[in-house]
Amino acid sequence: MNDDKLTRLDRMRYTKNTLASGLALLAILFDVFFFISIYESNVGSWYYNILMGASILYNLIFLLAAFLCSEGIKNYKISYAYVMIVLGIIQLVRIFIYPVTAHNSTVIIQEQAVTVMETPQFIRCALYLVLSAACLFVGAFVGMTRSKQLSAHLKALGLTA
Amino acid sequence: MAELNVQHVDKIYDNNVQAVFDFNLDVKDGELIVLVGPSGCGKSTTLRMIAGLEDISRGKLLLDGKDITQTPAKDRDMAMVFQSYALYGHMTIYENMAFSLTLRKENPNVIHKKVLAAAEILGLTSQLNKKPSQLSGGQRQRVAMGRSIVRNPKVFLFDEPLSNLDAKLRGATRREILLLHKRLQATMLYVTHDQTEALTLADRIVCMSMGHVQQVGTPLELYDAPANRFVASFIGLPPMNFFSATVREGALEGKGFRVALSEEEKGILLPYAGKEIDLGVRPEDVIQGDEIAMNVFSNENLGMNTLVHGHLGGGEKVSAKLRGWYDYKNGDNVNVAFARKHFFDKESGVAIRKGAKA
Repeated sequence: MNDDKLTRLDRMRYTKNTLASGLALLAILFDVFFFISIYESNVGSWYYNILMGASILYNLIFLLAAFLCSEGIKNYKISYAYVMIVLGIIQLVRIFIYPVTAHNSTVIIQEQAVTVMETPQFIRCALYLVLSAACLFVGAFVGMTRSKQLSAHLKALGLTA
Repeated sequence: MAELNVQHVDKIYDNNVQAVFDFNLDVKDGELIVLVGPSGCGKSTTLRMIAGLEDISRGKLLLDGKDITQTPAKDRDMAMVFQSYALYGHMTIYENMAFSLTLRKENPNVIHKKVLAAAEILGLTSQLNKKPSQLSGGQRQRVAMGRSIVRNPKVFLFDEPLSNLDAKLRGATRREILLLHKRLQATMLYVTHDQTEALTLADRIVCMSMGHVQQVGTPLELYDAPANRFVASFIGLPPMNFFSATVREGALEGKGFRVALSEEEKGILLPYAGKEIDLGVRPEDVIQGDEIAMNVFSNENLGMNTLVHGHLGGGEKVSAKLRGWYDYKNGDNVNVAFARKHFFDKESGVAIRKGAKA
């Protein structure tokens, strides 16, 4: 291993994994955009009310979990990378729960048939969830890679993480 | 490293108060200069002018022959260590030490090597991941020094760096600074009001009072041959005893004492025959003898020495640092003699040396 690479590895002993942590925070930001976008829906039935309520509830859980992951991965804790992958998968699955079911569906509001979610809104919602998931996956990958590199480096130095 | 020349520097504030008068100093490469003096004497102002944190009202400042009088602080290649440490509480020790280099956008690998090297010198390697609040005062001051070391500046400036530490820690950190200076061989300017720090650290001392330089010299020169009464009273602990005395018939006569002069002393004081001068005697030069009677009013045992305070026959106060352990009671009479004397002109306060004119 050349000197530059070794120094880069050694730097991780004293610096935070800000890239992975930043990506987790970016995932939160895209989730917030999604959160804002779903409010534009025309929910006129109990079914979509429940779906949207559940989505809002999950959003709160997601915000907390993703923030904790951001803090954990910042300190090279590999377990948080696995949580980030799970959160990313859930973000992708969410596309098929609310936006997909609501897309082009109609409900009766004041005796008029209206579309719950128009296509542009659907694309926005889906895009935000995809971007949020992508940030979580990349962040988890970066976190995992660096955590493993740091562990190996510390092991080579005879230190513990 | 660097040579620093301060030429005829004055500091006049906007309200016309002059803090520093005609300050001159040539600092050699690798020299540790200590600016010492009481509070308000202008030593910190001088240091801040050198650092570029205060404007120089008059005069010139040269670094390696280059005029830097108008150069902004950031471009002077000097690092300053403050009394208050000035560390960032939300950053780790590593980040604090790396901060100035990060701002300069240096290569992170280079920064890493410099920080580790500085931490090794200062014994901070195991503390690098901690926050300043988790460290002791001495360790925090070492971090502040480390932050300077990583920059590899031409001149290090210390503004009373040990004032916030307790006595024990101050001693230990002082020794560390001395070792650091020997190791780095850097040009350093150090400001303190503590004469012990000045005597133990300095290659040369600049003693200041009321904005004026009183004397520049080695610690021994300032202790042994003070230029004037102020330096004599400021350097040395306990401070020097002063008595008014008249030069008469080969002796000095004061209130309640008469001490004979040696041939050399007679020669020095020849122009002052019949005149009144100030006689200075360090407490450690007041020894047991048979010249003068001292009436004891206080006895302090310091271990190896006993500090005895008393009155001479005429009522003048005197302190004697006697070698050994004594238990004098209030009112006891002790016979003492002056082993070494310093003479000062009564009016000007200037030391009377060989060839002086009255």
